[in-house]
Amino acid sequence: MDALAPRTAGVAPSLPVAKPQLDLELRDIRKKYGDFTAVDGVSLKVPKGQFVCLLGPSGCGKTTTLRCIAGLEDPDDGGVLIGGKEVTRDPPWQRDIAMMFQDFALFPHMTVAKNVAFGLEMLKQPKARIAERVAQVLASFEISALADRKPGSLSGGQRQRVALARAMITEPRLLLLDEPIGALDYSLRETVMLELKLLQQRTGISFIWVTHDQNEAFSLGDLVVVMNHARIEQQGTPEDILQRPATAFVASFIQGNNVFRGTVLERAGGNVRIETAAGVFIVPCLGASPEIGATATFSVRAENISDTVSERHPNRLTAHCTAVEYFGAVRRHIFERADGEVLKVDHFGAQAARIAPGQSVLLGWQVEDTVLHQGIPG
Amino acid sequence: MKFALLGDWKFRSALTGWGLGTLTVVFLVYQWMPILTLGLLSFAGPTGGTTFPMNGVSLHWYEELWKATVMNDFKPPLVRSSLLAAACAITTVVLSVMSAQAMRGKFRGNDWFFYLMLLGIMAPGILVGFGFAILMRLLDVELAWNTTTFLVQVSWTLPFGFLTMLAVFNRFDSRVEEAALTLGASRLTTFRRITLPLIMPGVIGAGLFGFSLSYDEYPRSMFTTGPDQTLPLAVMAQLDRQLTPEIYAIGTTTTVFSLIAVLLCTSALWAMRRSTAPRKA
Repeated sequence: MDALAPRTAGVAPSLPVAKPQLDLELRDIRKKYGDFTAVDGVSLKVPKGQFVCLLGPSGCGKTTTLRCIAGLEDPDDGGVLIGGKEVTRDPPWQRDIAMMFQDFALFPHMTVAKNVAFGLEMLKQPKARIAERVAQVLASFEISALADRKPGSLSGGQRQRVALARAMITEPRLLLLDEPIGALDYSLRETVMLELKLLQQRTGISFIWVTHDQNEAFSLGDLVVVMNHARIEQQGTPEDILQRPATAFVASFIQGNNVFRGTVLERAGGNVRIETAAGVFIVPCLGASPEIGATATFSVRAENISDTVSERHPNRLTAHCTAVEYFGAVRRHIFERADGEVLKVDHFGAQAARIAPGQSVLLGWQVEDTVLHQGIPG
Repeated sequence: MKFALLGDWKFRSALTGWGLGTLTVVFLVYQWMPILTLGLLSFAGPTGGTTFPMNGVSLHWYEELWKATVMNDFKPPLVRSSLLAAACAITTVVLSVMSAQAMRGKFRGNDWFFYLMLLGIMAPGILVGFGFAILMRLLDVELAWNTTTFLVQVSWTLPFGFLTMLAVFNRFDSRVEEAALTLGASRLTTFRRITLPLIMPGVIGAGLFGFSLSYDEYPRSMFTTGPDQTLPLAVMAQLDRQLTPEIYAIGTTTTVFSLIAVLLCTSALWAMRRSTAPRKA
């Protein structure tokens, strides 16, 4: 695996840099297609060697954002900086990037070795040097045996390795990945995800990974960026986004949240009381507190709701169990709230279900497990 | 019991297969019959005429063709037509690849461009040729096979090449080009290393259209060629003067040469397909 040593290896330690260099910076990127706004003011800072996941439903603008970084799309407005260098108007071939496409986009008329050599040939390196590097990289991705094959004869997993080898051989500053494992068999995905995570850590190349699959985003990303309707809804660590969803969209998009919507009744200390169709609840207010009478949304995670209610659980409601789903480590109970909405409650452990469908149960959760969302809900 | 077979869907589909197969063969025979007739008559005996009976079978007319002055009459037009067809083929390839590439990018007025290109196919050739000749006279341009005829023929062959290339690009995955761009290839390098090899079968097809449509074009050449005639014009003139089975021998010979050319191109294409097709591990 020496073929893909960290980028910094071999570079003499220089004077401490005053400002840590960013691998990527997006400044208020905007892109419209006719009347359709694909990207609406996206700003992002990626420090050196980060694994970034752009997460969102299809059509949210995550792929367009990626293509703006690659230079395959011209943003209407805003700036793209790669390694601190402004490249907004530079063509793709002058950017220090490589890209992996969902269906891998291998060159069908070239052998695997020729595919992998392409990036180095573009750098006009001497032939002997290219051959040597290609052999190294093919070996490190364990595809040496495929060197003389054409992409048409490879399996999905083999193609994925070839595409990765082709992208990584020039050791770019950024690797852009557009749903890179979406075309693989489900059984392969977990293995490939782990390999890619390890590769990213070993090489220190920043990965910008576009996906609609939150499992991918949360298990891989150092930084997860949730997008919706051409905008960034929230960016942070996976823990941030799971535990503190910033908006009603993030809370409902991420699995396992129960979202409530209501009117602010009063402020009490650091908390607000919000009246919803399912009852009145106490919600901690960490940021600017909302106006009394304003509409607000909040959420509580399914695993934080208890069916053994005590004085620790001031937020309470009675709900009717409609179904129980079993996921191995987790048992998910589906309830119907008084207002007809669905309420999800997760219990861990393999013990038999205490609640059966058909029962009405008093449920409760703690004030500090309740998360108030920012912004005026749409 | 007797018609039980007809109730069996496998039997019925076999029957349909045979029916459609027979129809196809009959159609092919119908299509080739005129050429076969001429081919047959080219082997007529020395006293044979241009119609049946053949009065014996001989290679007499091919011998005549070989030594006779007729061939000398036809040699210059043959050379001209071949050069003209080759020039049309190259021009058609270059322009049709460029215009089909432009259509991929969807520019303002691209649907107008599309219909204007197709006008070359739809406009009646005799009128295009005549109108072009009048225009050239008005502009005081001298008519010649290698200037005016070339221009008017390209306007005829180009739309065929254009449609061929549109069909090729329609199935083309532009992400392989994007992959090349992100790997450091400029647009020109991407075209040379990635796009061109992948569209090569279509390029050859467009070239074949350009060559064969130009080679036997009559109506557009009729008024635009000037004193030095192309092959179809020379053949037509010969038909006006005297008709012997020699003319059939010429037709048969050129058809055989065309067939050989097409076979060579097809086998070249087939070899290229093979080199990019999936291989068994």
